[in-house]
Order: sequence, then C-alpha cells, then structure tokens
Amino acid sequence: MAANYDLTPKLIPYLDRHLVFPLLEFLSMHKIYPEIDLLKAKYELLAKTNMVDFISMLYKTIHDTDEVPEEFSTKRDEVLQTLENLQAEAQKVLDIIENPEVIAALRQDKLQNLNFLKEKYGLTDKMVNTLYQFGQFQYNCGNYGGASDMLYHFRVLSTDHELNVSALWGKLASDILDSNWDAALEEVQKLKETIDQKNFTSPLHQLQQRTWFIHWSIFVFFNHPKGRDSIIDVFFTAQYINTIQTACPWILRYLTTAVVTNKRRKSILKDLVKIIQQESYEYRDPITEFIESLYVKFDFEGAQHKLKECEKVLSNDFFLVATLPEFVENARYLISETYCRIHLKIDISGLSQTLNLDQEAGEKWIVNLIRDTRVDAKIDFKENTVIMNQNHTSIYQQVIERTKGLSFRSQVLASTIEKREAHQSASAAEAAES
Amino acid sequence: MSRFFRGGSDSETDDDEIISSNEEEMSDDDHISDESTDDETTPKPTTGAAAKSRFLKDAVSDSEESDIDEKVEVKSAKDKKLDALELSVKTIENAKKINDWVAIQNEFEKLNKIVSKSFGTIGIPRIYIKTIASLEDFLNEALQKEKEAKKKMNSTQAKALNSMKNKTKKIVRQFEDEIEKWRQNPVDTEEEIEDDGIEKPLPIKKDKLSYPAEDLDDEGFEQVGKGNKLIEYTSDNLFKKLREILEARGKKNTDRLEQIKILQKLLGVAATSYQQIRVLLALIPAQFDYNPSMSNYMNVDMWKSTQKEINQLLTIMDTNPNFIIHDHVEEEEEEDKEPVIEPGQTFGIRGSIVSFIDRLDDEFTKSLQNIDPHTTDYVDRLKDETELYATIVRGQIYFEKNDLNESTSRVVMRRLEHLYYKPDQVIQTVENTVAQSFPSGLTSSITPPTITQDSSDLIHALCVYLYKKGESLLRTRAMLCHIYHHALHNRFYIARDMLLMSHLQDNIQLSDVGTQILHNRTMVQVGLCAFREGMIKEAQSCLQEICGTGRVKELLAQGLQLQKYSQLPPEQEKLDRQRQLPFHMHINLELLECAYLTCSMLLEIPAMAAAGSNPEARKKVISKPFRRMLDYNERQVFSGPPENTRDHIMGAAKALAAGEWQKCQELIGAIKIWNLMPETQKIKEMLNRKIQEEGLRTYLFTYSSFYTTLGLEQLSTMFSLPLNTVTSIVSKMIWSEELAASLDQINNVVVLHRVEHTKVQQLALMFAEKAAAFVEANERTMEQKQAVGQNQRDQQRQKGICAFT
Repeated sequence: MAANYDLTPKLIPYLDRHLVFPLLEFLSMHKIYPEIDLLKAKYELLAKTNMVDFISMLYKTIHDTDEVPEEFSTKRDEVLQTLENLQAEAQKVLDIIENPEVIAALRQDKLQNLNFLKEKYGLTDKMVNTLYQFGQFQYNCGNYGGASDMLYHFRVLSTDHELNVSALWGKLASDILDSNWDAALEEVQKLKETIDQKNFTSPLHQLQQRTWFIHWSIFVFFNHPKGRDSIIDVFFTAQYINTIQTACPWILRYLTTAVVTNKRRKSILKDLVKIIQQESYEYRDPITEFIESLYVKFDFEGAQHKLKECEKVLSNDFFLVATLPEFVENARYLISETYCRIHLKIDISGLSQTLNLDQEAGEKWIVNLIRDTRVDAKIDFKENTVIMNQNHTSIYQQVIERTKGLSFRSQVLASTIEKREAHQSASAAEAAES
Repeated sequence: MSRFFRGGSDSETDDDEIISSNEEEMSDDDHISDESTDDETTPKPTTGAAAKSRFLKDAVSDSEESDIDEKVEVKSAKDKKLDALELSVKTIENAKKINDWVAIQNEFEKLNKIVSKSFGTIGIPRIYIKTIASLEDFLNEALQKEKEAKKKMNSTQAKALNSMKNKTKKIVRQFEDEIEKWRQNPVDTEEEIEDDGIEKPLPIKKDKLSYPAEDLDDEGFEQVGKGNKLIEYTSDNLFKKLREILEARGKKNTDRLEQIKILQKLLGVAATSYQQIRVLLALIPAQFDYNPSMSNYMNVDMWKSTQKEINQLLTIMDTNPNFIIHDHVEEEEEEDKEPVIEPGQTFGIRGSIVSFIDRLDDEFTKSLQNIDPHTTDYVDRLKDETELYATIVRGQIYFEKNDLNESTSRVVMRRLEHLYYKPDQVIQTVENTVAQSFPSGLTSSITPPTITQDSSDLIHALCVYLYKKGESLLRTRAMLCHIYHHALHNRFYIARDMLLMSHLQDNIQLSDVGTQILHNRTMVQVGLCAFREGMIKEAQSCLQEICGTGRVKELLAQGLQLQKYSQLPPEQEKLDRQRQLPFHMHINLELLECAYLTCSMLLEIPAMAAAGSNPEARKKVISKPFRRMLDYNERQVFSGPPENTRDHIMGAAKALAAGEWQKCQELIGAIKIWNLMPETQKIKEMLNRKIQEEGLRTYLFTYSSFYTTLGLEQLSTMFSLPLNTVTSIVSKMIWSEELAASLDQINNVVVLHRVEHTKVQQLALMFAEKAAAFVEANERTMEQKQAVGQNQRDQQRQKGICAFT
C-alpha cells in the first residue's frame, strides 16, 4: 500500500538530479522498494554528475566488487583538473569583488557597477560568466555551499537575464540541499516573482516553469517554520492552483496537509474542498479522501478510516513525515468541530471511536476542545453525552445586527457633505477674489 | 396561315395523325435530352412544358404556353405547332418594333424548340427561315446602332442582345442553304411553304443529321462538326481537343453535357498516363460544373462516376510518382506536348485534388440535405459514404506522401468530420472496409493501421495532426470534434477539461456560423454526457445555453425555425438551408429537451421548496423554460393524463414538489424517449436515486417548519434510502445552513430549530435590509459626486492659474 501512494515517481521528472537524491535516501530508509533497485536508481541518477567518488562507491555496492572501471579514475582526474582551472579563474574575479575599496564603491545600479568594475579593474563579461560556470560545476560536485556563494556573486554582477534566472534556480537548489532554509525561502520568493513577471513566449513554457517551481518549493515549505503559511499563500493564488490542476494534481496532497495542519486557515478550507472535489477524478489519495468524506459526504466513519490510512501515507512521505502528529491532531479537531456543529447531542463513546481514541482520552479531548474553542457545550456525565447549546440568533438580534452601522455611516456621509459644501463656498470665494 | 389550315386540312387529318402518333415516340425521346440540355439556359419554359406534357401527355402533345388561351378545338399536332410558330414569329415582330431584346430572345428560343421538336411533322417552315433571316438583318442593324450610341441599352437588354447574336449566328449557319434560297426569292407564297414541308421529306432527314449534337442520341457518337465532317478523337489530337473544351468552359452557350461526353470519350482514347491525368483534371471539374445552381444537388449517378474518376486519378498518381499535381505550378505554354521526364525528376501539373475531394464531399452532403430522410433513397445514398470516406483517406495518403501539408490538413479535417459523431463500432466497420479496399502498401503515417483499430486513437491521431499543422480555424474545429467524440463516449471530465483549457467559449462568438454550430453541438453533447454520468448540475448548466433559448433547432442547424414576426430575407434563408445538417447527424431534440427538463426539475423543485414563501429567494430562477412550463401547467383548470414528454415531466415535478417521489419516479420512468439512450436501465436507476434524494430534500424544506423532531429511521423508510445516506444528506444541509436543525445522536432524530417568522418580524427584517441598501446607495452617489467634484475643482484651479498668469 505504501508503494501505491508513493509520489516519488511522479515528483522525480520535475526535480533536479541532486534534489531527487534525498528522496531516494528516504525511500531506502523506509524500505518501500527493494534495496538493490534503489541503489541502481541512485547510480543512474548520479552517473552524470561529478560526484565521482560517491558514484564509484555505489558501483562497488551494486556489483559487490572492489574493482572500479577505468573510466571512473579518468573522470575523476578530469573533474579535478577542471575544478582547479575554474577555481583559478574565479579567484581573479573574487579578488576584485572582495577588495574593500570595491565594496565601498558599489551602488544599487547593476549596470553602473559593472561599468565601474570594467573600467577600473578590467573585469570582463567572460570573467563574470566564469563565476556561473564555477558555481554550476561545484553544484555538480556536490559542494552546494560553494555553489550557492558563487551564484550569489554572479547574480550581483551579471546583467544577462537568462543566466540570472538559471542562477536563481541553481541557488535555490544549492540552498535546499545545504538545508539553508531561510536563504531558500528568500530565493523562492524571488523566483516566484521572476516567473510571474517574465513574458514567456508560450504559455506552455510558463506552465512548465511553474510546475518546476511548485515541486522545488515544497522542499522549502515543509522545512522552513513559516513555510506552511507561505505554501497556502502561494499555491492558492489563481495561477498556481491552475497549474496544480492542469499539470500536477498530486501536489494536492501537500496542499491539503498544509491546510489541515494550519490552524488559522479556516476560510481556505472551503476552496480546498471545492478543488479536491473537482480533481477527484484525476487524483485521490487517503488525504484528499479524508477531506472529501468529511466535508462532501459527511461520513464520519469513513473519515475516521481514512485518517488511519493517512497516518501510514504520511509516515512514508519524505516531505510530510514531520507533520504527522500535527496532522492527526488537527484532523481530529476538524472532525469533532464538524461533528459538533451538526449534532445536538453526542454520545461521548461514539465520538471517541470516531476520533480513534479510547473512552477516557476521548472525554479529555472533548473537554479540551470545549475549553480551547469555546464551543457552547456541556457534558452530561450521567448519560455520557455532550449536549451542544444551539445559539441561533433571534430575529431581534438579526435586525439590530443589520442596522447597527447605519446611523454611523449616515453621520459620516453627512459630515462629508458638510465639508464639501464648506470647501466649495471657500473656493467660490477664492474664485470671486481672483 | 392558321385560317388556311383550319379550313383545308380536314382531308389530311388522318394522315397527320398517323404521323404525329409516330412522332410522339420520337419527340418523347427528344424530350428527355431536351430537358436536360435546356435546363440551364431557359429553366422556366422547360419546366412549364415538362409539367404540361406530364398532364396532357397524349392528348395535346407538345403544345406551348401560348395556346392556353385558344378554344378547345380538335386540331392536329402539326396545326398546333404551326399556330404556335406563327404566334412566336408575331411576338418577335412586335418585340422588334420596340427593341425589346429580352422578349425577342425568349420567343426565339421558343421558336427554335418548336422547330427542333417537330421536324418530322412540319419540316422547316418557310416562315421560320424568314424570321431567322430578318432577325439576322435586324440584329446586325441593332449592333451597328449599339456601337454608335453607347450606353443606351440597360444591362439585361444588352445581355439578351449578345446572346441573340451568338444564337442567331449558330442557327444561320445551320440553315445557310435555306436562308440563301429564301433571300433569293423572298416573296414565296404560303402554299409553297406548305409544299416544302410535306413534299420534301428527304432533305429534312438530312437536315436532322446535321442538326447539332444536342439532339443526337449517344450511340455511334459520330460527332459532326461544322462542315458536316466526322470528328475523330484519337490520342494524337487529344490535347488540341482538350484545349478547345477548356476554352469553351464557362462560356454561356457551351453545352456542358456535351463537353462531359467528349471528355469521357477522350479519356477512353488517352494513351499515356499524362494524357489521362490531363483529361481527368478537365473532366472532374466539368462534371462538378454541370449543375450551375447552388441549391440543387448533383445527380447521384454523375456523383458516383466523378468519385470513380477521382479514385482513378489517385491511382494513376500513385503508380506514376513522377507527376505531382498541385496548384503552384506555373501555367505552361506548351501544355499540349507530352512532357519529357527524366528519371528521378518530377513533373508538376497544375490542379488541386483536394478541392475535388472537398467538392465531392460537399455535393454528398448537399444531396443528403435534399433527399427526404424518411425514404429508402436516403439510406441508399448514405451507403455511398463508405466509398466517399475511402476516397478521402486515399487522398490523405497521397498528400502525405507528397508533403502537401495544406491539402493534408484539409483532407484530414474532412475525414474527422466524417468520424467524430459516430459510435465506435461504426467507425470500426468503416475503417476495416476501407483498409481492405486499398491495395497493400498504401498506408498513412498519420494514421498507421495499428491506430485505426481503435476509434479513440484514430480520432486522437487526426486531431493531434491538426493541432500541430492546421491553421487556427481547423484547429478549433478539430478541438470541437475531439471534445464531441469524448463526450459521446462518456468521458465527461476529459471533454470538460479540453473545453475549458482551450478557452474556446471565450471567442466562439467571433467565429463563423458553421463553427458555432459545431460548438453548440459539442456543448449539447457534453451536457448529455454529464447527464448520462449522473452529474445533474453540470448537465443542466451545459444544456442551459442551448435549450434555454427556445431556438434549439436553429442553433443546432437541424431544421429551420418558423419565426412568426421577423421575416428573414430570402438570401439568409437560403444560406440557413445550406447549413442544415444531414439527418443522420442530428441529435435527437426530444431526448435533449427531456434530459434538460429532467435536470431542471431535479434542481429547481428543491430550490423552490427552499425558497418557500420568501419572495426574494423565489425570484432566483435556475431554468426559465422549466418555470414557464410549470406555471402554465399549474394554471390549467383541468390537466389530463400526461401524453407527451413534457406532460410527463411536469406531472413528475408536481409530484416531487408534493413529496410523492414514487409517483415522480413512475412518471419519469414512463417516458419512452429514454430508450434512445445507451444503457437505459442504468440511467433510469440513476434518475430514480436522484429523485429519492431530491425528494428528501424537498420534503425537509417544505415540511420542516411543522415538526420539532424527525426520526432519521422514518425518513429512511419514507424515501427508501439507506440510513447513512439520509444522515449524510441531512448533515450536508445543516452544514451549508440550508436547514436550521441539528442531529440528536442518542435518539437518532433531527431536531428542527426553524422558526417561522411572523409577518411583523419578516417586515422588520426587510425594512432593515432596505435601509441598508439605501445607505449604501447614498454612499455610492457621494463617492461619484466626489470624484466628479475633484475633477471640476482641478479644472477650476487650472483655470484660476491661467487667469493669474
């Protein structure tokens, strides 16, 4: 079952090689797929990168030998050679930039800076591009911190738009892999702006970029403490929700989890339900089904079953494993909230069962719930029930509610008119004078 | 003259009658060919004559309109003809006096016909020759005048004069000898004329031979040219003849049937494939041109032969890859020679096969439009579609091979349009037949045989080709066909997604009428698909657009709507008629209406119940036509048992509103038209289920104010729904605040909190609402004023500044 709901194969096409690696690591930890297959997959994945040592190690494990083919060592030499060359060249640029005089002289305007550097220190475009190449190379070697630095410097200097965007992607990936979440979150925002503002030649291209962006950003969103707020903000904008619906409906799992685990986002739940319903023919997993059975079918028993499945799925998901306890807690909360709103009298044992808790824990849970959310309810201990106090607003209250603001608004209106009249007469007098 | 005959012809009547009865057969024969040849030149008189000859066949034979007025008198056929002749001549004389060339032309044609029909009876009457001669003179005179005084004649007259000129020339040439004779001795007595007619049967027969080919029957095909010489068609002079024909094409007095015959003859003698191609390229359009009117359809036999010829052409092209037909070839001067082709080189010939295929397809559609769909003729005609389809596919393969992209996309579109509305099995059968009819090795790269096995794959392949290669109109149409096909096969989500993602609906209003019709058809099909899948709301919203207008027929091009007040201009009506879809492509309108009304009922009745007595909520209408019908139905004093679909649905709606869901189910189930849907039983079950659910909702809306509690168990038995479904429905209503109630889990009941407001309370609420609206309106006005005031003030200030400076 775990393999059924595993999204890794769907995610991989939209991720960078290096980003896939942690996913595979995670899978091998949880033993969802056979070990040897995963090793092979890792080998295939990294064969094209420059992490030669690691690849040869993998090769050894897969083939169970100590022999390493010739090509590895030659490649290793090549890589080292290139690394040295690039480093030497990049160092020149770095020397210039890190000169305190230069730092003092730099301004906001990129073009101006570049001209200044060109004139004074003989910096050329080619040299700037070396930074980019070096950054890319380091990234390929697995030295993500260095890559991130290089790309940062490159972005400061270069005016080439296309390369700048590539550098943005590169830096985001480096920061993600370096677990530098604050920086990554910043990059995500920048990247989003770039994608949204850029004029793409074809809408398809933009869609593709957005899809990539969505996949990369979930790394950040589920690791940064504030990430789950941002994921809702970003993914619920019209463009991104469209992208999810057309290109990658499986992202709904992450979105749903983010919404469920976020206490403040009650209003967004309605939209989410609508989207899940719309996409249910294309994508469904226990998490979306949980929401569906709770808010579309109002089938509490079904919701409870789904919740159990959710636990399994979440524990096997690279991104969501950390959110598991929070998710379960919030899911229970959602169930009981809905339940209380619909019901007048609730059997405690029944509710506890629905919440997947025993009698005692259930009671405690309900008491907490009543206290925390100030649900107007009482527990009848003798009959072992919760009685909800219905508070339907009386007609008088309704009328008062509706007319409350009126007199204030009218006053404001009247005063504006007065002001205006005064103003007009003043200006009329002015006109007469002139 | 007539008086003379009347008096003296008594003795001869017997003889004449014998002759005339003999002639009857001949003239009948002539009649057929006459009719067909004269069709295009003078449609009116011919139809008149044809009609008459049908009614008066033996009694009066070929009398003309002119003798309608005459008294009923027994006269010999000959007499009548002579009478008619004389009358025509007189009319011509009269017309000459006032220079009315249109009249002259008409009469002259009539005259010619009488003469040509009645050779045997009266020969060539003197009076005819005389008329011709004098006409010729008069004509020359008139032409002379016309040259001198320009722009004196109006266009119709001028046209008539011109055609007269041509015709007279022709006729004069025919009767050269006679006219010469007459000119020598113009003061012949009438007796002599008669003698001429009767006593010289031999020369007449000779004349008949030399009479132009129109009246000559096919056999023998010994074409007689100007100088009474036989014309032989051989492959040597083929190009010359071909050129002659091509030059004559489109001219007013060219005889189209004749041309076709000559071309067919030419095709028979064509020796090389180049010659064959050239002849075919002339022959096919000639056949298409044969019928000049847009509204008539091509003769079926001719259509079939044309279709064969196109196939033949394609076969020749396949076997001779050295030739390529496309329309970018420069017109060459020396076309008459056999081209010398070096191996490996291709020789371009000017022409366009795709336009032939287009035309062939159009003609097929036209014929289907005109044939009554309820006859066997229609079915027979429809059988030809397979062959037509084969030709289209054949064409596609040819264009593909030669990289004629534009032609390929056009022909692929044609193919798609033959497929998209058909169910799987039909497509399968057609594809198999077509594949078998081809020689092996003829395969298409767009649609390889592996793909044609599955109709969805086939449609997909064709559409994808058009998306990639086609121009925007073709892309739109391909998209619509694709969606239609998906909808037809119950793939609602795919169809809907394609429809939404293509953004077709945004700008469909800007496209041409044909595409709009296709779009309407697609929308309807998507709606029906949603209905079959049990998605009532989606179905209703899809169908609303088309069915809500009351102009369904017109929007789907399935018949002209009779409009009471607005009179369409005839051209418009003609165009509309041309756009009509052939019957076999129709979507059943009754079924459509039935589905639409059923959806409306399932949505509208609970909504009406929920609105209750609240006047504001009652104004929200989901489906106007449904409401109207329901109102009408309710106003009737006495309603009988339901007869048609509408009655059934109205009855069902009333039952549903009253909570009698079983009766509602019965009435809906009794509608016969459901049988046209595939899997009728499943759809009925789906509907029954929906009726139960909506019945429950309606019941709760209507009667909730009368109860404090309602047992869930009881509700479940009342609507025979499972308990958890009832709970789920009730929960949903509570959650969405449609129903002021809550569930009591212990006693398993619904506790209702709804309090009916008293009149005063209701009014108070309404008053509060109105007051709020009033304040809002005030604020809005103020805002507007302020904006305007600001502008004015700015202007004033500017003015002030101006004044200062």
